[in-house]
Amino acid sequence: MLKLKQYSITFFIAVGLVGIWVYITSFTSWVNPVIFPPVSKIIDAFVKGFPDLLKGFVSSMGLLVPAIFLSLVLGIGGGLFFGLHQKSREILSPFFHTFSPLPPTLFIPYAIALLPTFKLASIFILFIGAFWPIFLGTIQGIALIDNHYWDNTKTLGIKGKDFIFKVVLPASAPYILSGTGTALILSFIVLMMAEMFGAQSGMGHFVQYYTDFSQYDYVLAGIIFNSIIILAIIVAFEKIKKRILFWMNLKSE
Amino acid sequence: MVETIELSQKSEKEALQNKIEVKSVHFSYGETEILQDINLEVKEGEFLVLMGPSGSGKSTLLRMLANLSQPKSGQILFDSPLDLAVVFQDYSLFPWLTAEENIVLALKQKLKKTKTKKELQQLAEQYLTLVQLGHAIKKYPGEMSGGMRQRAAIARALSVGSDLVLMDEPFGALDPLTRIQLQDLILQINHDQKRTIVFVTHDVEEAIILADRIVMFSPGPPGKVVDVIEVPFEKPRNRKQLFNSQEFVEFRDYLLGVMNKGVFEKLNQSEEVSSGEGI
Repeated sequence: MLKLKQYSITFFIAVGLVGIWVYITSFTSWVNPVIFPPVSKIIDAFVKGFPDLLKGFVSSMGLLVPAIFLSLVLGIGGGLFFGLHQKSREILSPFFHTFSPLPPTLFIPYAIALLPTFKLASIFILFIGAFWPIFLGTIQGIALIDNHYWDNTKTLGIKGKDFIFKVVLPASAPYILSGTGTALILSFIVLMMAEMFGAQSGMGHFVQYYTDFSQYDYVLAGIIFNSIIILAIIVAFEKIKKRILFWMNLKSE
Repeated sequence: MVETIELSQKSEKEALQNKIEVKSVHFSYGETEILQDINLEVKEGEFLVLMGPSGSGKSTLLRMLANLSQPKSGQILFDSPLDLAVVFQDYSLFPWLTAEENIVLALKQKLKKTKTKKELQQLAEQYLTLVQLGHAIKKYPGEMSGGMRQRAAIARALSVGSDLVLMDEPFGALDPLTRIQLQDLILQINHDQKRTIVFVTHDVEEAIILADRIVMFSPGPPGKVVDVIEVPFEKPRNRKQLFNSQEFVEFRDYLLGVMNKGVFEKLNQSEEVSSGEGI
């Protein structure tokens, strides 16, 4: 109830924006009706294009999910190793600093040349984008672990699996998760761009396909669909993040 | 030949007389000398309080006793292989684990795989009940008050079975009433369970209530031991009677005198230095 009230103004602004769109597109001739179609046409396109949009969603997730999974495994695993081994980290960190800021799309030529399918090449490019924020987030998280936790770990003699899973990972989780959030957003950007150029299907491909025919009602339907999906995934991620970091928001009685 | 053998035997015996012996320990941090020529011993079963103003290096010494840092020179000898537990001011527990899980994690390292998870949980519960936290077994540190967290930390220190417990201003962040309750608890533990306790504080009254002996540090850097004082009151001590007695007031003033002497000397020194710089 409180939440609904909190967002009531937001809701009215949204209704207002749609109202302005309706007014301008249906009752004035201020804008080009091809590029800015009326709401009824967009809804129509959304309904008619929905099966294709869903197919695009499934196809995009087929790229995104393996890429994110791979970057989580290698990013956190590698981050743990380099976070805990100062010497190796010092030797390789110039490489990290050189490669991490490069836009993943720079590697497209090699990905296409070396990997057998477009799908694998796309997964590889998405992986490169998502890997660095998770990897560097993990290293940073470990570097910033409070000295008190190290003291306790040492005096209690915590080693092995417990050391990793009960101390290091939970303690660095805030930074790992913030890196993962960055990785998610970045991979959406890369995904849409990659699909708009080479793909045969996908959420980005849908938009690009109808742009070629100047069917802006479908283009807008695609943009709206994509926004909803991305928003839903980000909201779900924030929920998961809050759940993992529950211990940061506890209140004493 | 015979003489040397006798000598080495004698020194072994001497090492066994005390729980810990600190021998001419120095510690510095970069260029700054933090501790200078510290000599002291911790006796089996005693309650030893390290006392001094902040910056006197008493916590640094405790860290060295806990093997969390190493002296620059000198030796710290233990009568048995290092087996101790530490209670810090307010950050001993891992906040992502419940009170019980915190203790089970510590116990698991100690007991390796000799006990089942169920048995470890029972042990944890037993020790949490001992410190009157039986009702908060499943609570996370973030859901507990400062006093409850310190109780849980004490329970963990006891559970791992170390007979030496090092405590670094463990009650410094607590309100007065909770503080008194925990002082009584730790005294009882020292007495009933025969655990040796080394306790850092800068609170004079806390030191008198708890200690068998008080090691006084001068304000640093570098911190030095200025005096080791036996507390002349029988244990168990009745807090109310003690605080009202003339002897207590005199002893407290004496301790404060020892501590303040060092503080005033320090102040004079730094005044000289700063006026020197002014010229």
